[in-house]
Amino acid sequence: MKNVRITIFLFAFLIVALLAMVLRCFYLQSVKSQHYSSIWQKQRQRLEPQMPQRGVILDCRGTVLAASNKVQTVFAEPRAITDPKEASNKLAPLIDMPAHEICKIITGSGNPGFARIKTNLEPDQYESAAKIRGIGVLSEWQRHYPAGPLAAHIVGFTSHDNRGLAGIELQYEKALAGSAGQNVFFADALRRPIRPKQFNPSVNDGFGIILTLDATIQQFTRTELLKQFREYQAESAVAIVVEPKSGAILAMVSLPGFDPNQAASTDPNNFKNRAVTDTFEPGSVLKPIIAAIALDANAVNTTEKIFCENGNYHGRGFGSIKEYRYYQYGDMTVKQILVKSSNIGMAKIGQKLGKQKLHEGLTHFGFGRKTGIDLPGEAPGLLWPHEKWTGYSLTRIPFGQEISVTALQLVRAFCILANGGKMVRPFLVQATVDNNGKIVNLKTPSPPVGFVIKPQVAQWIVNDALTAVINEGTGKRAKLEKYQLFGKTGTANIAKKDSKGYDDDAYIASFIAGAPAHDPAIVVLVSVRKPDRSLGKGYTGGTVAAPVAARIISKTLNYLEKQQF
Amino acid sequence: MKSRFYFVFVVFYCTALAIFTVHLRTASDRTFYRLCLVHTQRSRLKQQLEKKQLQVEAMINPAAVSQSLDDKEQNN
Repeated sequence: MKNVRITIFLFAFLIVALLAMVLRCFYLQSVKSQHYSSIWQKQRQRLEPQMPQRGVILDCRGTVLAASNKVQTVFAEPRAITDPKEASNKLAPLIDMPAHEICKIITGSGNPGFARIKTNLEPDQYESAAKIRGIGVLSEWQRHYPAGPLAAHIVGFTSHDNRGLAGIELQYEKALAGSAGQNVFFADALRRPIRPKQFNPSVNDGFGIILTLDATIQQFTRTELLKQFREYQAESAVAIVVEPKSGAILAMVSLPGFDPNQAASTDPNNFKNRAVTDTFEPGSVLKPIIAAIALDANAVNTTEKIFCENGNYHGRGFGSIKEYRYYQYGDMTVKQILVKSSNIGMAKIGQKLGKQKLHEGLTHFGFGRKTGIDLPGEAPGLLWPHEKWTGYSLTRIPFGQEISVTALQLVRAFCILANGGKMVRPFLVQATVDNNGKIVNLKTPSPPVGFVIKPQVAQWIVNDALTAVINEGTGKRAKLEKYQLFGKTGTANIAKKDSKGYDDDAYIASFIAGAPAHDPAIVVLVSVRKPDRSLGKGYTGGTVAAPVAARIISKTLNYLEKQQF
Repeated sequence: MKSRFYFVFVVFYCTALAIFTVHLRTASDRTFYRLCLVHTQRSRLKQQLEKKQLQVEAMINPAAVSQSLDDKEQNN
């Protein structure tokens, strides 16, 4: 009887145990199936990421400004090296590097898994180096800038891990970067790949960017500006060359410059593209714009004579205004006011125009807001609402004080004059192309939406008043035999940082010109900040900036003429 | 006798099938290895070509040409 009970108990236990096992199997196979199969997948497969090649940046004629190439880096895994001296001695002759330096890198590395030894090696060098225990080879993309500092502020640069940090590299990061892919392999217990599971890496290389910039014109511009920048020991300098009809930027230089190939060791202040980030009071270069606004609004006409108070204009609510070098002028027409660059004449034009019309005109010319150029960090400048203006504002803004602008805004305003009063939007990127050179996105300049001023007014300012500035006024040093230029000089005092008023020794010398006057092909701005006055070489726009602009115009027009044949 | 023959045939057939399968897998692995090798060689050649292109670009860009002309002028 007892045996029968034991047998029944054992039998029951066996059935329960079997049932439990069946249930457990069911649980593992059905309920936890996905969980365990994903663990299994991870254990038996290995992923090999494929990094995309960053897109190229080209100028308008195909000159390479930035491109990526794969380079091999020899590295050490310090924790896997038992005798660093021996490993260094073996490696040294293979990669042409002193053994003690290699040893220092291996022993001094803070990372036990990785110590970079040397980059950019030939295939036979890294292949033999990889045979040494604890030494490996890493293949990675490296960004190159063949033109060096030539267009550094436009092109920008990338970080060590190939992310855009400035210029076009930053602005078009998404298009240039592409997207990474990966190969999937079945792996053995030591994680070595056995066979492919999936071998179609969906890596998409980055798109190429074609700029409107012309490297040759950029070179003319940079060389000429750099010469003057050094000669006058200036704090900074900017030059821009624009095609006024389309708004395409042909050259843009900002000094001091830098070499994007050595960005890591550069003073970060030099990274600033001052043509778009720095704002300043423009001074007399703003006068033609104000004159155009006044003529367009019929506040003055071209034959009207304005009394310039014999060099001393003062009144209630706007203080005292004097001419540059205390010149004394009497009655002058608008043209004469521009040629002689009379502050009092301009102040009176401002008063005739009135606050609202002056503010409206400046807003239409694009002051006080960004131009929308394809570069990061653009400043909008500063144009206060006219409700906040005082009597001082109405008489100072017409000769370029109490308003803050960027070099690009100024050159755009002159492009509007050169373009017969039609709106212009400056742009830098012409097209985006894929790896086969097929255009993905063609960026045509947006068609002009309307006239900022009447065409007759723009033509009169360009062909009559501003050509006279070159032929008989402050811009004489920019006169060229072959081409008739139009332009305006400007010498603006820089406001004191710590107190009210202007610094008598700190100036911004500017000159904006275009040519040929009858059908402008280019507009050029040159602006030099704080030329050293103590050198005794001059500090005005006519002395410092005008000759540079003239040389840039002459070389550029000759070059463009030759390109047409 | 007949059943023995069938048995040998089935064993032979299965063995041949197993050998053929292994052969196919080996061939597939070898082809994949060669593909990887060619892929690596191609990317190495492309890399060398791009390196040369960049070297040429560094020599013929307007800044470099101006620099070399200036150097020549100074030497003369």
